[in-house]
Amino acid sequence: MIRIEHLHKTYPLERTARPAAGIPAAALSDINLHIRKGEIFGIIGRSGAGKSTLIRTLNMLERPSSGKISIEGEDITALDNNGLHLLRQRIGMIFQHFNLLNAKTAAANIDWPLKITGKYTQQERAARVTELLDLVGLSEHRDKYPAQLSGGQKQRVGIARALANTPHLLLCDEATSALDPETTQAILRLLLDINRKLGLTIVLITHEMQVIRNICDRVAVIEAGRIVEAGDVAEVFLHPQRAVTRSMVAESAPAIFSAETAVQPSALAGITQLRGLLVRLTYVGDITYQPILSSIAAATPALITILQGTIARIKDTPYGQLLVELRGEPADVAQVFATLDQHNIRHEVLA
Amino acid sequence: MDFSLIDWADIWQATWETLAMTGFSLLFTILLGLPLGILLFITGKRQLLEQRGIYRVLSLAVNVLRSVPFLILLIVMIPVTVILVGTSLGVQGAIPPLVLGTAPFFARLVENVLREIDRGVVEACQAMGASKRQIIFGALLPEALPGLIAATTVTAIALMSYAAMSGVIGGGGLGDLAIRFGYQRFQTEVMVTTVAVLVVLVQALQFSGDRLVQHFTRK
Repeated sequence: MIRIEHLHKTYPLERTARPAAGIPAAALSDINLHIRKGEIFGIIGRSGAGKSTLIRTLNMLERPSSGKISIEGEDITALDNNGLHLLRQRIGMIFQHFNLLNAKTAAANIDWPLKITGKYTQQERAARVTELLDLVGLSEHRDKYPAQLSGGQKQRVGIARALANTPHLLLCDEATSALDPETTQAILRLLLDINRKLGLTIVLITHEMQVIRNICDRVAVIEAGRIVEAGDVAEVFLHPQRAVTRSMVAESAPAIFSAETAVQPSALAGITQLRGLLVRLTYVGDITYQPILSSIAAATPALITILQGTIARIKDTPYGQLLVELRGEPADVAQVFATLDQHNIRHEVLA
Repeated sequence: MDFSLIDWADIWQATWETLAMTGFSLLFTILLGLPLGILLFITGKRQLLEQRGIYRVLSLAVNVLRSVPFLILLIVMIPVTVILVGTSLGVQGAIPPLVLGTAPFFARLVENVLREIDRGVVEACQAMGASKRQIIFGALLPEALPGLIAATTVTAIALMSYAAMSGVIGGGGLGDLAIRFGYQRFQTEVMVTTVAVLVVLVQALQFSGDRLVQHFTRK
């Protein structure tokens, strides 16, 4: 769907106003990403990391300094003005602050991108607007102005507007960051729903791991203009490699412990003296709901004490992560590990 | 003061002349100032058609015209006015200098109103694949409508007071009446009456402008 190769973006010095050093500030450096058709791809990073710039290069609101971006096989960095207009008409985008036209009603806001293309008759547009209002659940608010709508409703108008020209790709620029948690959930559900119903590829940027965890299939972590980590959400979430990823994971789900915090006595839930091995178990998928631990306990004389743990979901995938103390003869311990391996339960001895 | 000495037909006539001068000048001011204001805005820094050279030239021209005192402009313009409308006197003769004096002022107001519009709106339109023309006429101007109406009201009132000033060089209207009768013939009651009529006109303009702004405001 989207292929980004060696993407660089530097701003001329004047705009970033950085007095230090005579080199232009790099907003993005050497970005390489492949986004698959139909997936929800998240880009997470702290503010100023470059995620906003990155998503804007996907519809050329920001021109990259070098590198290549192709969308559905088309090199978009080579497009002329007209080609760019046509490309953008095929890509939807929603924004943190909605960016609706205040002088137009909800219906007229949705109609506007249809009008822009000049491809449809009045009747066709009216029918499409009604259909879209229905899709986002705003049928009874069609004649209201943005000022009369709540934040969540405004974002729904934004989504309907972005979908008007049946795009294959939807870009979400911090789409839920200005919304309260409940509304955020509703909007995320809507996005997921649209992704499934229409087979739409969604690229979103956010600073909240919660958003990634709720709807994304894959994620890339961006820091100081570079992708520092990328992969399946479950993998990145459960085994974050970089400090920045770990801290963002910790903010969204404090119960998940990283390798460092686990060995600190405070993290051991009051157990000061370890009598066996400290092991972290991670498992993803249906196995979460199977009685593996109890069958292990029944099969070996080894003792397992659960010190800390989480069972939750990433998107629709259940996962569990447990910190356990494992006591027993080396042979028994080895057998426990073997059984865990058999069930695809990842185990790491932390201490 | 003896208000029975006032020739009300004169006052009536002068009021109409003032309204005519203001109305026609306003029309031409908008025709000239609105495109100029839009041009100033879009060629400005980090805007749709950033063109520093054009912006600087336009901006300088606007500033120069705005710094010439209106009374001087009235006098300097006389030969040009004669070429344009055939006379430098009366209602017709007042319109060219009025337009030249207020169009740059209006253009600046338009530029400022457009700048107040959230950049996000422009970005959203760009992301939809709108052309520059579509963004300006389909999004920016409708979004700016209440602000543009407010700017027009301010301009109309400025025009009315300038129109009165044009009485000094033989323009028609209430200003002319005030100068010839009120000042030169010491008929204080004429002076008071013309000022009173102007106050009423300005109030009416401001009131209608405010109502229109309110009507088109969607916030």
